[in-house]
Amino acid sequence: MSEKGEVDLTGAKQNTGVWLVKVPKYLSQQWAKASGRGEVGKLRIGKNQGKAEVEFTLNEDLTMIDSLGNKPSGVQAPRDHPFTMQTVGGQTLAVFTETQSERISLEGLVVQRAECRPAVSENYMKLKRLQIEELSKPVRLSQQLEKAVTTNYKPVANHSYNLEYDRKKKEEGKRARVDKQQVLDMLFSAFEKHQYYNIKDLVDITKQPVSYLKEILRDIGIYNVKGTHKNTWELKPEYRHYQGGEEEEKETDD
Amino acid sequence: MASLGGSSSSSTEYIVRVPKNTSKKYSIMAFNSGDKVNCSSWTQARMERDMSNRRMYGVEETEEGAAGSEFGKKQREEARRKKFGIVTREFKVEDQPWILKVNGKAGKRFKGTKKGGITENASYYIFTQCPDGAFEAFPVNGWYNFVPQAKHRTLTAEEAEEEWGRRNKVVNHFSIMLQRRLREQERGPDDDDEEGEKGGKKKKKKGGRGGDLRIHDLEDDLELSSDESDSSGGEDGDSKPKKKEGDVKGKGKKKKKKRGSDSEANEDSDDGDFEGLEVDYMSDESSSEEEVGEEKAKSNKEAVPKGIDEASESEEESEEEKQNEEEGKEEEEEEEGKKTPVQTKKKRDSSGESDTSEDSDIDGEAASALFMVKRTPPKRGGGRGSGGSSRTGSRPGTPSIDSTSTSNTLRAAASKLEQGKRQVVGGSSESPAAKRLKMESSSTAVTTQSPAPSGKSTPQPPSGKSTPSSSDVQLTEEAVRRYLIRKPMTTKDLLKKFQTKRTGLSSEQTVNVLAQILKRLNPERKNVNDKMHFYLTE
Repeated sequence: MSEKGEVDLTGAKQNTGVWLVKVPKYLSQQWAKASGRGEVGKLRIGKNQGKAEVEFTLNEDLTMIDSLGNKPSGVQAPRDHPFTMQTVGGQTLAVFTETQSERISLEGLVVQRAECRPAVSENYMKLKRLQIEELSKPVRLSQQLEKAVTTNYKPVANHSYNLEYDRKKKEEGKRARVDKQQVLDMLFSAFEKHQYYNIKDLVDITKQPVSYLKEILRDIGIYNVKGTHKNTWELKPEYRHYQGGEEEEKETDD
Repeated sequence: MASLGGSSSSSTEYIVRVPKNTSKKYSIMAFNSGDKVNCSSWTQARMERDMSNRRMYGVEETEEGAAGSEFGKKQREEARRKKFGIVTREFKVEDQPWILKVNGKAGKRFKGTKKGGITENASYYIFTQCPDGAFEAFPVNGWYNFVPQAKHRTLTAEEAEEEWGRRNKVVNHFSIMLQRRLREQERGPDDDDEEGEKGGKKKKKKGGRGGDLRIHDLEDDLELSSDESDSSGGEDGDSKPKKKEGDVKGKGKKKKKKRGSDSEANEDSDDGDFEGLEVDYMSDESSSEEEVGEEKAKSNKEAVPKGIDEASESEEESEEEKQNEEEGKEEEEEEEGKKTPVQTKKKRDSSGESDTSEDSDIDGEAASALFMVKRTPPKRGGGRGSGGSSRTGSRPGTPSIDSTSTSNTLRAAASKLEQGKRQVVGGSSESPAAKRLKMESSSTAVTTQSPAPSGKSTPQPPSGKSTPSSSDVQLTEEAVRRYLIRKPMTTKDLLKKFQTKRTGLSSEQTVNVLAQILKRLNPERKNVNDKMHFYLTE
């Protein structure tokens, strides 16, 4: 059972050799369409007069290219792809895998690098042309509209906003003054959470009219023009116990 | 796996599969082949994401909740950032570098940075051969370039820049890291440099040598430095007590070094400044002090090195700083006020420069009233004026080491001999041999408090010098008086009037005589453009 961070080195110890192959984009797209066990083609490795020849042949059923929009184009992917073999010198490449559970294991070392090239054929040319066409299309397109747009007109006052405004007025109107004690309780609990408050925020929290709230605040708090901008209210020193952020209930004197 | 026979070729076919289940994500770990990484030799390895960049994007709040916080601060900050268009890029864990530790804590460390753009135009696949002979191809998700991380100490960019500027002067490169470590020691006394680096071995020996060695023109100095390095190389067997001594010394010297480095910083010298420079010696405060102090320290106990270090230190540095007034007083008295306070101060200001230390030795003695600027190395600041520079000129190439080392020893004893030395100074101002004595005595005489009698500064009898030899211009009191009546002049100007070629006197003599004359005339002083001018009103 490997813990997180611990790398499973079995692949490295066994010196498992793998190949690193660079594959064209269209080919990998075709491979993604593979079904079943995922067979995509055949790899033929031959030795021709001492030289190794590797060729990949794509499966027939995977040669249908879907152009943009998923309609089958008339283009077929080329089937034959010889591999160009390259050396690994200059870099030591290792392969590691990561699972979803974040376990890392070393799979092996790259012993051979290769490039999968398509054998140049008519099919390939057609494919390339299709690709170029798709890429050359501009991302943004100007379209001419037949009718002028008449659905947006500027209202004098925003209709929805109007409604909201009316509703707000109805609901709150003048904020009712509650008992001073209640307000104080609300304030103290608010100041337990934060030290500095804007008057607007306090009004919001306590739902009290501004003047009334200010009266109460003048009692228990101070209005400071702090170094950091914004004028904020905070409790008077005798009312606060800001050690480690925990506070006790404060007595209010009436 | 059908094998097809061919004429001279044989090939085998394999099925290629691209598995659909993608529970494992494949990535490439690339090492530079020059690092000679052999994965099979790893016994164990740990790899984690390097999260050190997270704080840039994440929470940088000072306070959360209760004290010090504002209501709605977070939202306000975010709104502000949006208003100014500051776009903070999201912190993606998958893009963070890897930290790979091989073979435990003592093993190698690698940092793997993600290489971008590998999946843009082409895809990489890993082909592995399965037991059943078929190939399986897995797409590569990411490519990480792993580089080994240095465990040894390195210089930061600023330090590297500094050292680059001194590359031609520094002979001992080990001292660079050593100095850095000593600086760190000052900051964190708990840090114990027990790392097994070369620097550590050198420390006990080089602890004194921590400052950079300057390249000396003189063989003495070269020999001295090479001796040091040889002996230090030989003494590879570290002993703890020695090292501790080095520590203590290092702390004591660190101050000096710091000042040394400060003084170096004050200098605006580049490499090319010293070409074609006629120098007697170029000992830095630190180097000469350290050499001296180190020698002392080795032979003495730890307490004493401090004392001597301070002494040597003070001799060279504190002369300017601590005994400013005394020297100033001395000089003024001795030179009968010719050495203007302004000039003196200027000299003191440039005391950071190494040459000043030597000059100030002589300053203290103030053998003669005025000294002309005979040979002014470019290193000296402009404010030197006629002050210390001339003394260099009047001094032949005596090695600084000798002078300072002897000065050290003489210092304590010579304070009693101040008056006697002064006399010696007066009488021997001409001969080079005596000059050395003069330097020694001067350094010791620095601490003197008593003002020098005004007659001291002029060693030669006035009568002998005021008689001019046959020449166009005669250095007489009359001539000087005439000049001073006409317009205010500085001492420099006066000296220019009585050029040695025309008066037939040597520069030394001219200076002495002029000093006497000025003393007799006692002209009025006026400060014009920061320079002390003399004038007479008849």
